Amino acid sequence: MDSNGALVSRGMFGTWRAGRSDWRLQVLSIFSLSVAFVCLAAALLVVTNVEALRDRWSRAGRATVYLKDGAKEGEVAALMQALSQTGGVSRVRRVTSDEARREVVTNDEALAALPVEAFPGSLEVAFDDSIADEDLKTIALKLRALPAVETVETYERWTERLSSLLGGGVTAAACLALIVLAAVISVVGSTMRLLLQRRKIEVEVLRLVGATNGFVRRPFVLEGATQGALGALFAVMLLGLLFLIVRDRFDQQLANLLGITPSFLPWQVALGMVTLGGLLGAMTAFVSLRKLASV
Amino acid sequence: MAGSSAQSSFRHQALRAGHRYDPSAASRPILVFEDVYKSYRADQPVLRGMSLVIERGEFVFVTGPSGSGKSTLLRLIHRTEQVDDGRILFLGRDVARLPDSAVPALRRNVGVVFQDFRLVPSWSVFDNVAIALEVIGLPQRLVRTRVGEALERVGLAGRGADPARVLSGGEQQRVAVARAIVHEPALILADEPTGNLDPQLAIDVLGLFEDIHETGTTVLFATHDRSLLDVRPRRVVILDEGKATDVPQGLAESDAMLDDDEFEDIDIEAA
Repeated sequence: MDSNGALVSRGMFGTWRAGRSDWRLQVLSIFSLSVAFVCLAAALLVVTNVEALRDRWSRAGRATVYLKDGAKEGEVAALMQALSQTGGVSRVRRVTSDEARREVVTNDEALAALPVEAFPGSLEVAFDDSIADEDLKTIALKLRALPAVETVETYERWTERLSSLLGGGVTAAACLALIVLAAVISVVGSTMRLLLQRRKIEVEVLRLVGATNGFVRRPFVLEGATQGALGALFAVMLLGLLFLIVRDRFDQQLANLLGITPSFLPWQVALGMVTLGGLLGAMTAFVSLRKLASV
Repeated sequence: MAGSSAQSSFRHQALRAGHRYDPSAASRPILVFEDVYKSYRADQPVLRGMSLVIERGEFVFVTGPSGSGKSTLLRLIHRTEQVDDGRILFLGRDVARLPDSAVPALRRNVGVVFQDFRLVPSWSVFDNVAIALEVIGLPQRLVRTRVGEALERVGLAGRGADPARVLSGGEQQRVAVARAIVHEPALILADEPTGNLDPQLAIDVLGLFEDIHETGTTVLFATHDRSLLDVRPRRVVILDEGKATDVPQGLAESDAMLDDDEFEDIDIEAA
């Protein structure tokens, strides 16, 4: 083993030996970091799913063409045929007033009391994913001009609302990231100060025998990195567990309505959080010790 | 002439950049204090223009009353404290002007033993000694061998696995001595190393330092225990009022040769 190798191995050995004797402090620190990271991970999870929902709805390519009460069967049939032959339209389905009523009214007596006219007949039009927004708008505009059509719903405003919600979510996640950053710096910094206090004699002996600042700090920096990474890892695991519990109870009908099933954080994001935790822990420990443990 | 030139060229190639070859370095004193001043409070100077020369391979007692600056003197050499003024040359280099990055290298050339041992109680005897070699980056195989030898020299062979906290005071001080000598430093600083030991153990520990000195190591032994100074005639440096008084032949001989009046101000026994 070369000189540097021996130094590193000693540094790591020192870390683990000290880590064992201070395990309570380490566990508390990791727990605190997990709590901070869970907040960030939860925010990212919400953002991820809202983004998926927005993507799904923005390229949902569907529209509901509400028909006038007096629309004649011939007009409706011609409209259906014209729509089927329009480029970008993948499917057209007729929903009569009765069918609409049956879909909406299940056990709700108040809804059941409503007259049939309250549930207008409609055409559910599905478009290809590749259809451009402009094309969709043009088709909707043309449909609205037809005499048998009352109105056309393209769900564009829902996409806009989701976009707005997503923007808010991203801002909230960014704020949480800053809070988490502050929490990690505070927790790791405090832990380093406590560890340094507990290992005062070790540090004193190391200086006595001519250890460099790097040699003294290395175990602490490794501990900071480990705490940060483990804190983030436990946060991701805890959130994953909660996600599995919630997903199992997630209403299938709601999923169908929304058009997505909730998904967990992508593995790249999870890995990024663990890496971020490790880096933040290491950097905070390094900076804290720069002030506290100089020769 | 040509041969001399070639030899000179070889020497220069073998040296690191920025380091000039100096053949007289080996004959220079190991430690030189030049007009050293140190005070912790402006109105209470500890050292006031102290000058002193320690030659290579010497065993020197540093004595004086409490607060006379014995520990300060050793701490200045070890760069745990900084001089206010003056120079301390260790192996020809001014300790006070060393950059912070060079301080670890200085400390690796100096072994230190304190009254309170400064061991890590939770570490084993082996770990407490080995750390002095591990900071240098010595391979573990060599560390094991040299720690074993050092423990044998201090009479603790086979005790490497014991936790330091279970050892007696005398044994702990032996571990501290082993740590100080394991990396074969040029100079050993002992700051009241027998202060916590009973008289017989104190003499044993002194014997240990004398054995180390026999191998050519320079030893600076700070104590206020007069009985130790009389064990063998050694050079004694008496610190008082911020100045050093050199007694080359030891106090016992000086007491016989000089009038009592000359040492009446230095009440070492009372200190």
